Amino acid sequence: MNNVKMSYHQHSMNRRSALRTMAIGAGVAGASLSMPGVLRFAGAEAPIKVGLISPLTGAWTVYGKAHSAGFELAVDEINAAGGVLGRKIEIIVGDSKTEPRIVVEQANRLIRQEGVDFLAGTFSSAERNAAGPVVASANKVLLYPTFYEGQEQKYYPGVCNKNIFMFGPEPTQQVWPHMEYMTKQFGKKFFMIGSDYVWPRVTNEFTKEKLKELGGEVVGEVYIPFNTPQYESALRQIRDAKPNIIFHTLTGSDTVNFRKQFVAAGMNKEFALWTVDDEEVVTTGLGPDVSAGAFVSFDYFMSIKNPNNEAFLNRFRAKFGKNALMNTVGVAMYNAAHMAALAITKTGKVTTEGLRDGLKDLEYDKAPQGEVKMRGLDNQMVLPSYLMKVRQGWTGVGDMFEEVRHLDSVTPADARCKSLPL
Amino acid sequence: MMSTTLSVLADSTLITFVFALAAIGLAVVFGLVGVINMGHGAMLTLGAYFTWYATTSGVPFVPAVLASATSVAVVGLVLEHFLIRHFYDRPFETLLLTWGFFLITTELIKIVFGTDLRTVTNPLPGAFDLSVVTLPAYETIVAAISLGILLVLALVLFKTSTGIKIRALVQNPEVASLLGLNVGLAYKNVFVLGSFLAGLAGALISPMLSVDPYIGNIYLVRSFFVVIVGGIGQVLGGTLVGSFIIGGSETFFALFAGQVLAQTIVFVLAIVVLRFRPSGVLRPR
Repeated sequence: MNNVKMSYHQHSMNRRSALRTMAIGAGVAGASLSMPGVLRFAGAEAPIKVGLISPLTGAWTVYGKAHSAGFELAVDEINAAGGVLGRKIEIIVGDSKTEPRIVVEQANRLIRQEGVDFLAGTFSSAERNAAGPVVASANKVLLYPTFYEGQEQKYYPGVCNKNIFMFGPEPTQQVWPHMEYMTKQFGKKFFMIGSDYVWPRVTNEFTKEKLKELGGEVVGEVYIPFNTPQYESALRQIRDAKPNIIFHTLTGSDTVNFRKQFVAAGMNKEFALWTVDDEEVVTTGLGPDVSAGAFVSFDYFMSIKNPNNEAFLNRFRAKFGKNALMNTVGVAMYNAAHMAALAITKTGKVTTEGLRDGLKDLEYDKAPQGEVKMRGLDNQMVLPSYLMKVRQGWTGVGDMFEEVRHLDSVTPADARCKSLPL
Repeated sequence: MMSTTLSVLADSTLITFVFALAAIGLAVVFGLVGVINMGHGAMLTLGAYFTWYATTSGVPFVPAVLASATSVAVVGLVLEHFLIRHFYDRPFETLLLTWGFFLITTELIKIVFGTDLRTVTNPLPGAFDLSVVTLPAYETIVAAISLGILLVLALVLFKTSTGIKIRALVQNPEVASLLGLNVGLAYKNVFVLGSFLAGLAGALISPMLSVDPYIGNIYLVRSFFVVIVGGIGQVLGGTLVGSFIIGGSETFFALFAGQVLAQTIVFVLAIVVLRFRPSGVLRPR
C-alpha cells in the first residue's frame, strides 16, 4: 500500500516538475524569438546537468580539491569537444561539509530543486551510504569515485545498488594483489590500525580473509575515533604485539597525527608500515621525514609513467596550477565524467536507464592509470594496482613514490550482493 | 608487567601535561575574567599556522614558536580592545563574540594558508630510551614546558603583587576597583596572557599533529571538559586534575578496552564527575 502511495507521489512530482520545465521552456522560447537566429539556435539545446557533491568544507576539505578538480577538468574537456549529443554539461556543486547528514540534504536539493540528470561524488563510504537511499528512491545514477570497502548486501542501498557505479578500487584490487609479496618480504604478523568507521573495518575483514589463506595472523586490531590527538596507547599496543607489518587505514588528519607520533617514537625503524589511505595529498601533509619508507597501494599515483597520465597531468596543471595535487579519487572523478559522457553518447539517451545501460561493460582507454573497464556484473571498475614505497627525502609529487610492483589490470572479486548482475 | 605499568604511567603523564598545555589559556581566561572563550581553538590553530609559516620561511623553531605565541597575543589584544572589553559583564554575549571570532578566523586561515595539510618538522626527532620506557623526545620536552608554565603561573598568581591584584579582582571586582585597581587593564592583561598561552600551545603542539584549519578544534572540546571537570577558577590544580581525567586516564582504560570505548568511558566519567561535583573536582561546596 505504502509503495503504491509512494510511486503515485513521485509520479505527481515528476509531472509537476515536467510542467514547470515546460513553462520555463516556453518562456525561454518566447524570449529567444526576439533574438537573432544564431543565438536562438545555440540556446535551443539545454545543458545536461550534473550534481557534484564534494567535501569542500569540514574535516575532509583536504581531499575536496582533487575530488572536484578531476571532475571539472573532464567536463571542460567534454564541453570543449562539443559536449554530449550536442549538449554541454553543466556542473551544479553541492558541498557535503564532510557530513553524511548534509549529503542527504544536498542530494535531495540537487535532484528535486536543481533537476540534475545524475549525481557524481560523495567522498567517504559514510557519505556514499547516506546518498544511497536518495538515489535509490529518486532513481538517479551516482558516480562514486573513492577507494572503498567493496560491496556487501548488508550495506544496501549504499552499495549493491544498481544506480551507484564504483570508479575506485576495493580491497581485492587494492590490497589482495600485494599481500603475498608483503608477507614474503616482511613476515606474516599484521597489526591493524584504522579510523572507526565502515571503510577501515570492512577493508580489514577482507585483508584478514586473504591473510588467513596465506597462513598469516593478526596480532592486534585497533580502531581510533576521529580527531584523536594522542596515540601513546596505540603505539604501546603495537610495540607489545611485535607485528611484522602495520596495516594502516587511518584517514585524514588522524593519519598525520598518528604517523608523526609513530616516527617521533622511533618506531618507523622497527616496523614496516603499509597504508591504503595515504595518497599524494596526505603524504604531502606528512612531509618527507615522516612518510619515508612507508608502503602505499592504489590504482593511481601521479608518478605513474605512461602517455595517458603525462597528457592528463599537463592538462590538469594547465588548469589548476603547477603545484596542484591529484590523487586516485580525483582521477576516478575524471574517469567518471568521461565514461558517463561516452555512455550517454553510446545509448543516445540522457536518462537513468540510458546512463546505466551505457556504463555497463564500458571500456575507457584514455584513463590516466591506463585501460579501465566498468564491469557490468556489479558496477565495479576493473583497474590497475600499484604498490609504491615512499622515497627517502622526496621533494614533491614527482619523486614521492617509488614503484615496487604493479599489475596492469586487476579484476575484483564479485560483489557480495543478493542478486547479480545489479 | 612492570614495564607496562611504567610505560602506561609515563604515557599518561605525557598526555596529561600536553592537555594541560592546550587548556591552560582557556582556564586562565575562563577562570580569572569569566569569558567563555570559544575562540580558544582558533587561537591554537593560529599559533600552529604561524609556526608553520615561520619555520617554512627559514626561521629556527624556538624563535618561530615565541614569535607565533606573541602574534596570537597581539590578535587577542586587538580582539579584547575592540570587542570583548565592552562585554565583560555579559557572559552570553562574549560567548557569541568569541564563537564569531572562531568562525571568521577559521575561514581566514583557509583563505590565507589554504586547506592543504601542512606539516611542521619535528625539531627534536627520536626518543629517550630509558631501557624500561621509551619517551618520544619532543613530546617529553613539551610536557616539561607545560609543567614549567604551570609553575610560573603559580608563582605569579600567589607570590607577586600582580597575582594578588588579579585574585582580588576575581573575588570582588567592585571592591578591587574602589581600592584603586585598574580593572580594565587587569582584565586586558589576563585576556592577552590567555591568548599568548593558547598561541604558545598551538605552536608547541604543531610538530606533533597535522596542521590543518581544524587543528584547534580537536583540543577545544577537550579543553572545555578539562576546565569544567577540574573546576572553574581552579586555574592550576583544576587544569592538571582535569587534564588527567580527560586525557591521562584514557591510557589506563585503553589497556582493557578499545580506543573507542576508552574515549567513551572518559567522557562518561566526566559527566558522572559533574553530576556529583557540578563545580568541578577541586571546587568545595
